[in-house]
Amino acid sequence: MDDQLNDIVTRETETTKDILTLLADMGQTFAATQDIEASLQYAVEHIAKYVGAEAGSLFMLDDDETHLYCHACYGDVDIVGVEIGADQGIVGHCVQNIATEIVRDVTNDTRFHQGVDDESGFVTRSILCAPLSVKGNCIGAIELINKSSGDGLFDTSDLTLLSTLASSAALAIVNARMAEKLVEQERVARELELAAEIQRSLLPSGNEGLPVWGSNIPARTVSGDFFDYFELEDGRIVFNLGDVSGKGMNAALLMAKTSSLFRCLSKTIEHPGRLLGRINTEICETSTRGMFVTMVGGIFDPTTGRLRIANAGHEPPLVRDVQGNYRAIAAEAPPLGIVDDFSWENGFPVTTIDLDGGAFYLFTDGVTEGYVEDGVELGVDGVQKIIDESSTESINLQLERIVASVFGSGIALRDDLTVLGIADDLLKRPVSEDNDPTVGEKAVGDASHRQQFASLTTNSSPERLRMIRSMVTDGAKSLGFSNEVIQDLILAVDEACQNVIRYAYGGKHDGTMEIVLFSDEDNLIIEVRDQAPHVDPATIKPRDLDDVRPGGLGTHLMNQVMNSVEYLPLSEEGGNILRMIKIIS
Amino acid sequence: MKSETREESGALIISFEGDIDLQSSPEARKALLEAVGKGMAVLVDLSAVDYIDSSGVASLVESFQKAKTEHHKFILVSVSDSARRVLELARLDKVFTICGSISDALEA
Repeated sequence: MDDQLNDIVTRETETTKDILTLLADMGQTFAATQDIEASLQYAVEHIAKYVGAEAGSLFMLDDDETHLYCHACYGDVDIVGVEIGADQGIVGHCVQNIATEIVRDVTNDTRFHQGVDDESGFVTRSILCAPLSVKGNCIGAIELINKSSGDGLFDTSDLTLLSTLASSAALAIVNARMAEKLVEQERVARELELAAEIQRSLLPSGNEGLPVWGSNIPARTVSGDFFDYFELEDGRIVFNLGDVSGKGMNAALLMAKTSSLFRCLSKTIEHPGRLLGRINTEICETSTRGMFVTMVGGIFDPTTGRLRIANAGHEPPLVRDVQGNYRAIAAEAPPLGIVDDFSWENGFPVTTIDLDGGAFYLFTDGVTEGYVEDGVELGVDGVQKIIDESSTESINLQLERIVASVFGSGIALRDDLTVLGIADDLLKRPVSEDNDPTVGEKAVGDASHRQQFASLTTNSSPERLRMIRSMVTDGAKSLGFSNEVIQDLILAVDEACQNVIRYAYGGKHDGTMEIVLFSDEDNLIIEVRDQAPHVDPATIKPRDLDDVRPGGLGTHLMNQVMNSVEYLPLSEEGGNILRMIKIIS
Repeated sequence: MKSETREESGALIISFEGDIDLQSSPEARKALLEAVGKGMAVLVDLSAVDYIDSSGVASLVESFQKAKTEHHKFILVSVSDSARRVLELARLDKVFTICGSISDALEA
């Protein structure tokens, strides 16, 4: 050992300047590289030349560490691309043991793997091999073959020299690989930032003059939450807020899709339930399994304070009345993207709420489950407390306070934070129009003290429609409805009867049709009953309004003029019952 | 329902009176399509219409589309309040050309 050391020291003294230069150059080559393969080539060439070998090759372990690949070589025979098992031959041995190997004379060593020579035609006599390892982590090995001077055989001093050079090369390679990863990470981060920018552009940018406001703060770069609102030509406001399951890029993409579908379809489908039903169908058709969206979509009329929403599996929104009482509107439909049931084609359930000067708050679970300063979850109670404390302020400020309580707590966000609020301003009511002092979604029509005050049973013939219209006119007059409203009621009943004649009885005139009028304190309830086979309400769905063609219009008209239109659950006796409700003002 | 068609200043004027409902709309549809088939501008006078339902509106839409593809004018004239209400509910008030009087329509 002392002899070897002396030998190296002697050689080192002679060539110290050279080896330092080589090490420095190699380090620099790797540090500056855009191309690790070229640097590997540089390393193997210079190391082979420096040690004085006829040939050299650099093998690296593949990702699953089962094979060694030749990435660079020096000498007459090109073996770049050659693949051997991770434990094959001298190189494999060296890598497995993370130890240098010397085979002074291959003819005396059984570990020598003849395969590469057979493939390359090279005659191997003597081998040196040193692992490329950093801190016990081996990434490959450098092998040198046949000393180019003397007897052509390597000695141990050559091995020690190679070992030194290999260590330094290994460090340079590992560093270069890390740098490459960092560059890749930065590229991904830049792309995420671009994606986030596109996402932000999908959110509304301001609320000039509108009584609605929203905010979204992603927990990561991109968000799985979204909200949107915009004003229709007639002044009504369409809005939504949703939460895609999961976080990250896949959630962000589904968010972009869902909010785009909403924005596009909401311009032609005004009924929030049918709108969400339609989006559900679209998402079910193409969505990745296991991903879903909870969402509330709705429409608000500032001139009446009336809000209509459909809730697909989302956390219940809050309604706060002017007295400060809260009501939560629970979801009546599953999240979007789970099941495409035909029965929803006619619409998810819709809840009608009259804000009457109150406000409406929508948020994602990132808000209610977000940590506030003391490390506890904000909760729905916490949200209500903040609203109560700031109820005299604008909706923007109220929501900002909610967001700040979680975002400003100093604790990292667990989930995206998204809020949306609508404030109903009684001053926005048109002066001349009488407001509907309505009962919202109070179980209209189901009241036990309702009274039947008119009914008519007739055959399913178009000739009878005139008679039905005059019966409805008389009935509605007795309840004090205005002439304009009576016109609407006539239209709705007439259209309902047409559906019975055309669809339930298929145009046959000998079926039975019964029209019954009830009233309770607040509502006129009209039921149209038939004895026909069950009708799937989805087959009488209203048309989209941009679809200018004959037909499919009746159901749309009924929905337009009545406060509620629904088919009652099918009864044992058969037949269909359509119940329509008009609130008495 | 009653309907009457007359020609005036190179246009066909078709006037309806009474209720256009499921019972009468086939007749209204026939009259409208016949008028459109003549290859002239068609003016539909709805001033005396007391009631129109979706089947009546559908007949108007069908005739309007036919006139449009054949590049003839199809104008609704003096639409009664109740007919206008239904067109508005159907959001069709922006689809049709609507004029206040026959003379306006002839100039349109």
